[in-house]
This record gives sequence, structure tokens and C-alpha cells, in this order.
Amino acid sequence: MDTTVTSTSQSAIELYYKGLEEGKLKARRCKDCGEHTFPPTGCCAHCGGWSLDWVDLSGKGTLLFATHNISPACHPRFEPIAPYVYGHICLDEGIIVQAIVQGVKATPEDLNQLFQRGQTPVEADILRMDDLPVLAFRIIR
Amino acid sequence: MRNRLKEEIVISGVGCSRFGDLLETPGLKGLSLQEVTANAVREALDDAGLSGQDLDAVYVGNAMVHSSQLPGTYSQLSKWIGAELKSGVHFDAQCSTTNVGAALAAMSIASGVYDTVLVVGFETTRTKVKGFSPYEREALQHKETWLWTDMAVNQAYGVPQGYDIFSTYNGLVALGYCRKYGLSIEDYDKGMFELCRTRRLHGSMNPKANIQQTMEDKASELGFSSSYEMWQSDEVNPFVAWPSRLMSLVTIADGASAMVLTRADIARANKSQPVQLKGFGISYRDLPWYDEDPTLWDFDRRSATQAMEMADIKATDINYLHTHDCSHISGICTAEMIGYLPSGKGLAAARDGELRYDGKRPMSTHGGRHAFGHAWAASAGSDTYEAVLQMRGMAGKRQIPKRPEISVIHTHGYAMIGTTIVLGGV
Ligand SMILES: [Zn+2]
Repeated sequence: MDTTVTSTSQSAIELYYKGLEEGKLKARRCKDCGEHTFPPTGCCAHCGGWSLDWVDLSGKGTLLFATHNISPACHPRFEPIAPYVYGHICLDEGIIVQAIVQGVKATPEDLNQLFQRGQTPVEADILRMDDLPVLAFRIIR
Repeated sequence: MRNRLKEEIVISGVGCSRFGDLLETPGLKGLSLQEVTANAVREALDDAGLSGQDLDAVYVGNAMVHSSQLPGTYSQLSKWIGAELKSGVHFDAQCSTTNVGAALAAMSIASGVYDTVLVVGFETTRTKVKGFSPYEREALQHKETWLWTDMAVNQAYGVPQGYDIFSTYNGLVALGYCRKYGLSIEDYDKGMFELCRTRRLHGSMNPKANIQQTMEDKASELGFSSSYEMWQSDEVNPFVAWPSRLMSLVTIADGASAMVLTRADIARANKSQPVQLKGFGISYRDLPWYDEDPTLWDFDRRSATQAMEMADIKATDINYLHTHDCSHISGICTAEMIGYLPSGKGLAAARDGELRYDGKRPMSTHGGRHAFGHAWAASAGSDTYEAVLQMRGMAGKRQIPKRPEISVIHTHGYAMIGTTIVLGGV
């Protein structure tokens, strides 16, 4: 039984958002099973191990599907940009994320066009809301 | 996990309020939340032929304490239901609360500790306490409802970065479904129309439903030449998460439900026909709720498999099914995963009338989350209430012609806890 007080003094959540401010996608990689946990926590989501390294993800991935959200947005932070496009994305590291997709209009016509086009390469393009940087993506034309 | 109940457990009494709005809906208007909840409990206790003093424990659930302002509900309700000095707990599994409560009650009875447990769920998603008034309420704003409801969703990364229930639960699932089964967006839209039409038909036959107006009646009231013309109208039924429209979603409600669980051997002396809780399964997952394929939700598969294994039933044994239909397309995916509907054929089944109360594959005969309405912690209990009525042949105009022998109820508790229970005759 380990009764020591942990020496870490910065939250993984804070480190993640500070990373976004610098354009970095901060993730954890498990020392036991090698899998990524993203967004980061203090525990491996795959094996439950507690020994993790910090790594940066590439920010590249594939947009699988894209829909839009309602306006006014469910959260006040996003009222200025609602309705926005929201995507189901597989990162090159094999991690599934859902995030705002920039550069596509939230109209049935544009979303249908994207659906007919099928899987589309995207890259991270951090969205700076008033109080928080947010992970978002943009289609690579 | 042994996944077995050591004793036969039954639901011996059920109760449910009308779902609606505490400020305007007949049957709710003018009552306090304590009274609406106590009325549902009274119906369940009367049904079981018991009083509050016959209970050993009371498990009360409420998800959004921001609007109810009633934490510690076991004691706050106790005098309203005549059940002081019992064992009790306030808990939540969000929109699975009442059926998770049934599972907890079953385990505490089968363990040999309690004989009879009352499970209660109540919720106000339309109204909140007005100022500091002990009895006055006021309308909840759309923004408050979702800000508070979404507190059950990943608050570190999901909600802060633009998570939206309608996108994640509806639009993306719909697109995954269309891609997987080669369904055109037009055919998807027609299928969703038929599904909603069925749910509203059921609601129109249920005096406790929030919406009791058929699609056809609403269309003629608004002056449309057909209900499909209304369905496609951007004003009445806009896309909320393309290609999903407003009427494929939840209708929020205030309401309460209750059930009494007890040992089968002592229920025989009770008043109404008991229904056996044959199995249950519970499995949860944080965002993202699905991997590459938005139609395949592994926690739902696990919860259904556990429940059906415990009950020792196969999909072909199921006579009545409710799947959580806060998002109509997600409810269809779950029904197909369980095997009640063939994969990729759920919307065709809706079109052919198979999902109606008098169809071959009846589903959500109370009206589901759209027509019956959704009062988070009370809703799973409303689904169980409906299944028990159907199994007893007491569902009135919407009664399934051949009374179901096996019913399965699946619910999603935000975000997300998949819960499945299997009910059977005693
Ligand atoms: Zn690991």
C-alpha cells in the first residue's frame, strides 16, 4: 500500500488547455500497455494503469461524419458561433474524438455535400473562444 | 460476475404521474413536486396493496437537483408517503435512474436483507423553484435545462469544447446509420416521420402522455395539407442536427414514477398481478459513446446481454420492447442490436406499421420520449409502468392485442449508462 502524497501539483485538465493555447494536443501514453489516453487523465483508459508519459499528438485525422448543432447552443460559451458543424473524427493515432469542424457552413446543403464526399482528411485548428482555447478541426482541401 | 439473482423478485406495484408541465398541464398544475411524487407512490402502493409502513427501504432518484431543489429526498418525502423510520437513499443514474433503482432493490431483496423496497424517480425539466417559494414554480429556460442536464456529461473536456447532445446523439448516429445500410437521406427522413407518427399515435391513446395529439391532427390544426408536409416544414420541424429533425427528439417534461419490488413468495398475497423482474444489466461509458461506427454502442450491447443472460431469454422471446428514444434513431439502433428488429430494417418496420401497438413488433406504446415525454429520473419508471400495464392487459385503447409475456426495457442514463431490464409473467 502506497500512502505517499502525490507530488504532482498541476491538473491534467489545466495542462491540456494550456497545451491547446500553444497549439499542442497533450495526451498520455501508458507505460504498461502503450495505449494513448486522450484527452488526458491520470489513469490509462485501456488497462487502468497509473504510470503514464505525456506525449503530443499529431493533430491529423480523418473526418468520418459531420452534422451540426442547435442554436442557441446548449452551452453559453458557444452562443457566439452557433449553429456550428460538429464532427466524428478518427485521429491518425487511432483515437476517436468529436469536435467542432471549422470552415464548413452549418446548412443541410453543405453538410449533405460533405456526407456524399465521404471520409475527409482534417487537421487540428484550435478555436479561441473568449475564455478557453478549444480543440477544433479544419478540412485539408 | 455471477450475474444471477438468488431469489425470484417481482414488481408488485407501479405508479406514474402524467408527464407534462407543473405550471400548465392538467393533473400536474397547482401541485407541488412533493405531491406529484407522492401521488405516483400512492398509486404504486395501492397497486401492491401496501402502505408506506410495509416498506423496508425507499430508494429515491432525481437527476437535476438544480430545478427540484430537493436533495436528501428519502427524508423530505417520507411524511408525504407515510414511510418514516425506514432505510433510504437518494441516488441517480440520470435517465436510467428508476430502472437502476429496480436492479438495486432486487439485489438488496435477493441478498436476504430486505423484503419490500419502494423505488421512486421524479424530475422537473420544464419548471424550477421560483425564488425562495416553498410552492411557487416558474418556467425553466431552454438554456438552463441543457446547461444543468449536461452537467452529467464529461465536464473536463466534452461540454467545455462544444459537445452537443443533438449532434452526438442524433445527427452523427443518423449519418452512420445511412452510410452503413446505404439508406438515402430522403428515405431516412421518411422513416423518421413514420416513427414519430407511430409514437404520437400511441401518445394520443395515453391519458398520461405529455403530447396527446396525433401528427395528423397537429398538421390540420396548423393548416398543412398533409402531415408529411408539416414534417418537412423548416418552421415546425427544423433540422436540429442534420439530418435529424426536431420531432425526432425528446420532449422535456415534469413527472414522477414509482414501483414496489418484493419477494415473489410474499407478493402472492398482494393486490394486483405481480410481474417478475427476470434480469437486468447495467453498463456505462464516457464520451465518445461509440467508436468508428456511430450505430454500435458497446455499453448497450453489454447491458442487454447481461440482462438477457440473467433472464435466460433470447431476442425471439421478446413480445414488447422499449428502447431509450430520446433520440429516435438511437432507439432504432438499440432495438436492432438487441435483435428485436432486423439490422438496417428498423425504419422500414416503422413505415410498415410493425412498431404500432397492434403491429408485429410493438415498441414504446406509451408514446416514448417524444410523445409520453421525458422527465429524466422518472422516465425509466414510466417505461416499466407501461410494460406492466401491457403485461396485465390494462393498457386501454393502446393494449397490445396478445398480452406480452416477455418485455424488455432499455434506457440510457446520461452520459451514458445503458440499462436493460427483462420482465416476465410470474
Ligand atoms: Zn494502459
